[in-house]
Amino acid sequence: MGINISSAVQVHALSDTALAELPSLLVPALGETLAMVGIVMLIVIVVGTPIAVALHNMAPGGLFERQGTYSVLSWIVNIGRSLPFLVLMAAIVPFTRFITGTNIGIAAAVVPMSLAGIPFFARLVENCLRDVPLSVTAAARASGGSPLQIIRTAQLGEAVPAILGGLTINTIAMIEYSAIAGTIGAGGIGYVAVTYGYQRFDNTVMLATVILLILMVTIVQLTGDALVRAATPHLSRRK
Amino acid sequence: MISLKNLTKVYGHGEQSLTVLDNLDVDVANGEILAIVGPSGAGKSTLAQCINLLERPTSGQVIVNGEDLAQLPERKLRVARRRIGTVFQSASLLSRRTAAENIALPLQYLGVTPAETKARVGELLERVGLSHRANHYPFELSGGQLQRVGIARALALRPAVLLSDEATSGLDPETTRSVVSLLRQLRDDLDLAVVFITHEMDTVLHVADSAARLENGRITEQGSLVDLLTDHDSALGRALQPHLSPAEPEAGSSLWHVTYDSRKVPSDWLQLVSAELGEPVALLAATIQSIDGTSTGNATVGLRAPAHLATAAFARHGLRAIPGELAIANAALDHSSDTRATEDLQWA
Ligand SMILES: Nc1ncnc2c1ncn2[C@@H]1O[C@H](COP(=O)(O)OP(=O)(O)O)[C@@H](O)[C@H]1O
Ligand SMILES: [Mg+2]
Repeated sequence: MGINISSAVQVHALSDTALAELPSLLVPALGETLAMVGIVMLIVIVVGTPIAVALHNMAPGGLFERQGTYSVLSWIVNIGRSLPFLVLMAAIVPFTRFITGTNIGIAAAVVPMSLAGIPFFARLVENCLRDVPLSVTAAARASGGSPLQIIRTAQLGEAVPAILGGLTINTIAMIEYSAIAGTIGAGGIGYVAVTYGYQRFDNTVMLATVILLILMVTIVQLTGDALVRAATPHLSRRK
Repeated sequence: MISLKNLTKVYGHGEQSLTVLDNLDVDVANGEILAIVGPSGAGKSTLAQCINLLERPTSGQVIVNGEDLAQLPERKLRVARRRIGTVFQSASLLSRRTAAENIALPLQYLGVTPAETKARVGELLERVGLSHRANHYPFELSGGQLQRVGIARALALRPAVLLSDEATSGLDPETTRSVVSLLRQLRDDLDLAVVFITHEMDTVLHVADSAARLENGRITEQGSLVDLLTDHDSALGRALQPHLSPAEPEAGSSLWHVTYDSRKVPSDWLQLVSAELGEPVALLAATIQSIDGTSTGNATVGLRAPAHLATAAFARHGLRAIPGELAIANAALDHSSDTRATEDLQWA
């Protein structure tokens, strides 16, 4: 009986963290999530954008058509896009360990997250570039631009609002991936949610992480929307 | 001055190859506006792309101020292309740049200093009448204003040739007229050779000095506007005429289509022909265009005289005349003018 009570008390104490203790648990976790997503997004933008530009311009009608190279690159990007994140993460553990020397923690999460994020972003940006009218690129060529100048001013420049929209989608996807990466001990909000909320039935923590994730995604979306508006003359200059 | 010599463009290879431009020869002198007209799919846009070398011609030459651009390697081509300014159909401006920033684009590509760029852009804005819209974004400009920005951008690098592919298509008639008169003004001020490509016949009369008809990749007709308009045998000349809907001729009289130009025909030709035929010739429809000081007329008249007499009278006063449908019907009944009648029928 006593054991029962004490175990019940223990379970109770284990499952519901006091509200006062939440910050000390969640703040570091939030920091880890932001670090993971931040580092990954940086890598995704730096690597994904050139891939998108290459895809767009090697395709028929692009600035430097290369049918063969385009097919190969496109195929590689498709592979990156076809694996569910959890499978990808598990499948590349040896590669992750080779790169980072570990298979847990933030560094280990950044590798699979980047590998998933880069092709995702590349396809998003490729789509944005495709939506820029061909005549704009033609006008830039007729204005005497070099390929780099044309890519910068006419293609990427015109696509900025759409790319910011894609960046928002991508960032939110990376927040989700960071939570999945949490299940293999990467840390962050996801890790807290899984270990406390799921494995220990700690409803307070579960609820707190859910609210935190919703807040994060909302803030990212609102920021993204504001940036898109600011970058679009007919949205920002409405009188 | 721009000359196209034996210009040919073939898309695709082998069995599936499509000859879009077939051995074109075209010359446009400085200070001349040549309109290239033709139905959709004729190859007009392909021609435009071959002229500014956005597409390489399969063979032939594109000679601007004595240099053949068609064979230049890509890097040199980028420099040579500055001699040709292009105005695009939808202006194709950068939507996130102001009018001034759009006009500055070619200068920016070239690496012109900001101070020089600013001065040049100010000058160009003034030229196209948009100084008051310098800091407006494309979405804040009307169709005509967008085209003016497009024209200013095309002129930024002081080209010798201005190329326009359907630049006025889609604009309302009044805006078209103002853009066209800007082009003529620029042609005069800057001594440009202008290639004006359009599928709109109406615009040609207002803009061009000469016209060429492109059909299935070939130039089927080419000439000065005055000559084309007064040439009955010219399909292009006829297509350029405004459509007339003549009044019904009086019963018993027949219909004639007459064209003339003021270099050969006195302006009182109607009275002269009436006097010669001994009957009043009825004017049922007419237009007179003035092109470079020459008036060209296009009229439909009704008269009762037999066909051979009418033809002779018109010819004597330098008018070119062909019988309209009613005249043919009457002529066919008129057995006294048998040879005429068969000829007239062939005209129809
Ligand atoms: N890049 C291309 N590849 C193959 N065929 C083309 C290409 N561009 C145009 N064509 C063909 O060339 C012909 C002429 O097209 P175009 O020059 O656009 O005519 P227009 O401007 O007079 O309407 C059309 O039959 C079109 O299908
Ligand atoms: Mg066309």
